[in-house]
Amino acid sequence: MAGPAHQEGYDVVVLGGGVNGAGVARDCAMRGLSVLLLEKRDLACGASGASSGMIHGGIRYMTSDRNVTALASRDAGYIRHIAPHLTFRIPFLLPFATQEEGSRLLDRVTWYATEVYVGTYDLFQPLKGGKPSVRLSPDELYRLEPGLRPGLHGAVTLDEWGIDGQRLCLLNALSAVDHGADVRTWTEATSLVREQGRVVAVRFRDAVTGEHGEARAGVVVNATGGWSPGFGRSNGFPVPMRPGKGVHLSLDRRHGNYGIICTAVDGRQMFLMPHEMESIIGTTDDDFFGNPDDLDATADEVAYLVDGAASLVPSVREARITRAWWGVRTTLFEYGVEEDDLSRDHRIYDHAADGSAGLLSFVGGKLASYRAQAEELADRVVALVGKGVKPCRTHEVPLPGGDEVPSPRDLAARHGIAEVVAARLVYRHGSLAWEVLRLADEDPRMKLVLCRDEGILAAEVAWIARHERVRRLQDLRRRCRLALGGCGGLDCARPAAQIVARELGWDADRLRAELADLLEAGWRERRAVLDGWQLAEEELLRAVHRGLGGL
Amino acid sequence: MAPATRIECDVLVVGGGMAGATAALAAREAGARVVMARKSPGSTGLSGGAVSVAQDPACMPDAPFAARSGVVESARRIAATRPGHPYQLLRDRLDRLWNAVEFATGQFSSVLAPPTGRNRWLLTPFGHAHPAAACQRTMAAGDLAEVRGTLLVCGFEGHLGWDPGLVASGAVRVEPLGGPRPRAVLLDLFRWEEGALGKPFDLARLLEAPGAAEEAGKVLKRVLVRGDAAAVLPPVLGIDPAARVQERIAAEAGIPVAEFLSDLPSVPGLRMHRAIEARLAAAGVEVLGGEVRGGAGPDLPAAVGGREVVARSWVLASGRFVGGGIERRGELREAVLGLPVQASEGPFADPSIRFAARPSATLTLADSRAPQALLAAGLRVDGDLHPLDAEGRVVHPRVFAAGAVVGGHDPASDGTGMGVAIFTGWLAGRAAAGRGA
Repeated sequence: MAGPAHQEGYDVVVLGGGVNGAGVARDCAMRGLSVLLLEKRDLACGASGASSGMIHGGIRYMTSDRNVTALASRDAGYIRHIAPHLTFRIPFLLPFATQEEGSRLLDRVTWYATEVYVGTYDLFQPLKGGKPSVRLSPDELYRLEPGLRPGLHGAVTLDEWGIDGQRLCLLNALSAVDHGADVRTWTEATSLVREQGRVVAVRFRDAVTGEHGEARAGVVVNATGGWSPGFGRSNGFPVPMRPGKGVHLSLDRRHGNYGIICTAVDGRQMFLMPHEMESIIGTTDDDFFGNPDDLDATADEVAYLVDGAASLVPSVREARITRAWWGVRTTLFEYGVEEDDLSRDHRIYDHAADGSAGLLSFVGGKLASYRAQAEELADRVVALVGKGVKPCRTHEVPLPGGDEVPSPRDLAARHGIAEVVAARLVYRHGSLAWEVLRLADEDPRMKLVLCRDEGILAAEVAWIARHERVRRLQDLRRRCRLALGGCGGLDCARPAAQIVARELGWDADRLRAELADLLEAGWRERRAVLDGWQLAEEELLRAVHRGLGGL
Repeated sequence: MAPATRIECDVLVVGGGMAGATAALAAREAGARVVMARKSPGSTGLSGGAVSVAQDPACMPDAPFAARSGVVESARRIAATRPGHPYQLLRDRLDRLWNAVEFATGQFSSVLAPPTGRNRWLLTPFGHAHPAAACQRTMAAGDLAEVRGTLLVCGFEGHLGWDPGLVASGAVRVEPLGGPRPRAVLLDLFRWEEGALGKPFDLARLLEAPGAAEEAGKVLKRVLVRGDAAAVLPPVLGIDPAARVQERIAAEAGIPVAEFLSDLPSVPGLRMHRAIEARLAAAGVEVLGGEVRGGAGPDLPAAVGGREVVARSWVLASGRFVGGGIERRGELREAVLGLPVQASEGPFADPSIRFAARPSATLTLADSRAPQALLAAGLRVDGDLHPLDAEGRVVHPRVFAAGAVVGGHDPASDGTGMGVAIFTGWLAGRAAAGRGA
C-alpha cells in the first residue's frame, strides 16, 4: 500500500462534524490550539442535523436532570447572543385535555402539577431570554389555535427558541477555520495509530478523491455520535451508550403559528411545531444498535407520529407530509430503563484506561447546550495538551454573520429582490447577506430565485459553493435546504447543480453524479410518506429526473 | 336553481391528456357523439415535447443506437419481458400500435412531426439522450441519429436556466456510437433583467415578439463555424406554433435549428396542451370543464361543470397521480368510479396480491432506480381495456380505461407513457364508439 499522501501534526484532531465536534474544534482553535476536524460525510449529517431544531431549555428533563435544564437554558442564552440571526421564537401551547377542571381528584392533581412544572421552568426562562408562561382559558386557546380538537380546557404556554441545527454546525466549523483550524469533510477516520498505550495519530481517507492521509495528534477527540460505538469497536476502545433512533416528519408549510405539545399513543410527550417555512412533527425514541448509515423511517414510525399529532390537531391527517427524517441520539448508557427515561446529560470518557491515552470520547448532551459541552471538552483537551492557551470566549464572540442582523426590508429595497427572499437570506447568513447580494449586483442573473419554498437565490448558491466548504451537491441540503421543500428539487436541483458545478469546476459527468446523489437522498426521506399531493409530486419528479434526466 | 342542462351522447371521456384526447378523437372518427370531461390540464400538458412509445429493453443505456429495431418491435420485446405492462396485456394487438401512433401524430400534426418508425434521440437539459417515437416539429432537427458533423448545443449568455455543457454531455456519450460531435456555446441573448430572471414562458414570449427570432438567428449565425450541421437551443422557441420562432431563427442563421427537450415548467407541454384543445374543438368534441361527480357509469347521469351528462359508454382516461385518476389518501383508489387499484409491477404484478392499503414504505424500494410498485399502481384491465373489480370481473361492458390510470407500468419514467396513452386511448375510443380494433 502506498504511504499517506501527507502527514501533519496537530494539537488536537477532532473526529465528527456534528455540533459537538464542530463546537470543540471552534473552541480549541479560538484558544490557540492547532486543530484538524475530520468528518466522514458532511457537517451535521447525523443527530445534530436531524434534531428538532430547537435550543430549548429541556423542560422534559427538569424532573430527572435539572442540571441539564439549567445548563441548556443558560447556553441557549449564549447561542442567541452569538447567532442571533439563526434563532427564532417558538411559542408552545400545552393544552389541558381533562374533562372539566376540578371534576376529579386526579384531574386537579394534573392541573396543579402542570402549573407547578411550567412555573418552575419559568425560573429558567430569563437565562435564555424566554417569556414566562401564561395560562390560557379555553376561549383564548381556540382563538390562538382554531385547529385544535374541540373539548380542550385551556392551556399553558411555553416559550422556546428554534434554530437551524445544520447551519449552527456549519458556522462553528467556519469559525474554527477562521481561527486556523483545518476542516475536512467527506473524510473518514479509518484507524487510530497507537504508540506505547497512547493514541498518536489518525489515518484517514478522503471519500471524494480517494486520497489517504495521516495526521499526528496530541489529543484525539471522538465526537462521532451515533457512530461512536462502531468506531470504538473497530479501533479497540469501548464507548458506553444507549443510542436511540428519533424520527421527525416535515409538513409542506406551517400548519399553525404555535407549537403544540401532544401525547402519543404510548403516553410519551411529542409535538407539532412550526419551524422556519414548515411544520415538524416529532419525535420517536427507540433503541437502535445498528449502523446509523443504514437507517430508514418505517411505516410504524410515520403512523405513530401522525396519530399523536392528530390527537390534538385532527387536520394534520389532511396535511401534506413532505419527508420523514431521522437521527441517532447518543444517550448515556443505562440498563433496564425505558428510552424516554434515559438521561440527556453528557459525559466525557478518557480512554487512557483502555490503553488509549490521549483519546477522549464525548457521549450524550443536547444541541441547546452544545457550546457549554464543547467548552468542557476543550478544557479537558487543554489539560491533556498541557500548553498555555487563551481562555474560552465562545460565549461572547459571534459566529460568522452573527455580529449584526440586517433588516430584510433594507436589503430587499437596496438590491431589488423580494422581501421574503431577503428575510430567508438574512436568516441563513446574518450580516453576510450583504456579501451574498454583492454577487447579484455584479451579475444580474444571480437574482434568479431558484427555490420558492426556501427563497434561495442563484447568488446564495454561488456564495455557499465558494465560502461554505461544499464538496458535494447534497451539502446544500444542509446549507440552504436545497431540494428539501415541497417540490423536492423539481425546480431548483438542476439549476443549482449547474451553478455549483461552475463554481467548483465539476465536469458534466460529476455534475450528473452529484445530482443523482442529491435526488436519491430526497427519495429515501419521502418513500415512507408518499400520499396525496406529495405522491403526485413524486410522479413529476420521477418523470423529470428519471424519465427525462436518465439519472 | 334551474336543472342542469342534460347532454346525451355516445361516449363520455373522462380526462383530456394524450389518452383522453386520442380516445375522444378516435371515437369521433368512428362517428360517435363525444363529450369530454376534464378538470384541468394533466401530465400531458407538463410533458417535455417527446412522444415516447418504446425503447428496446435489450439496449444498454450507453449504447442507444444499438437499438436499430423499430418502435413496434421494441414494444413487442417489452410485452415479452414485463409482466403486467399494458403492452403485454395487449400483445395480440400490437400490430395495430403503429396505426394508433400515426393516428395521434396525425391529429396533432400542428405541433408533432411525422414519426419515422424508429426512435429519434433527443437531448435533454440533464445531459441525456432520450428516445422518442415522435416529437414536436420544433425538435425533429435535433435527432442525434440523423445529425452528421457538429451539433451546436446552445445556452443563453444572460440566463442560468440551461448549461449547454451539461446538455451537450448527452451527445458526448453517444458520439462514439455514430452521433454528432457536440459543441457547447452560449448565445449572447437575454442579457437584460427581463430575460435573465424570466421563466421559460417569459423567454418564449420574448422570442415571439416581432423581429426577436431574427435577432436570435443573427446571434446564432455569428457563432457558427465550418462543419456545424445543426443547432439545438433551449425549449423556449415560442409558445404559439403560428409564430414560427424556430423556423425564423433557422432561416436567419442558415442552419437547421431545434429545441432540446424540456423539463418543468415546460413550454412544449403548454404547446401540446393547446394543440389538443384546438383539435378537439375542430373535431366537434364537446369539452366540459370540471370534475365528474356522482357518476355511476354508462346510461346514468353524471354532473360535470354544471351540466348533466348521460353517455352510453365511458372511457376513463383520468391519468395517474398528477392527473388525479388514481389517488392515495391513506390507501390507493381510483377517483371517478371508486374502482379498486390492483395492477402494478414487480412482485405486485401478481393480481392475487391486494396492495392498495399497504403503507407506502412497503410499496417502494430504497434504490430509487429500481421499479417502484407504488408509482406503477393503477387499474387492472382485461385485454379489451375493461376495468376489473376486486374479484377480477368486468365492471361494466361499456366502461373502458386508457392511459396512466391503467396500472402495471410507470408512465413517469419507463419510456412507454405516451405510447400506452396513445395505444390504449385509440383502442378504448374505438371500442367505446362501438368499433373493434
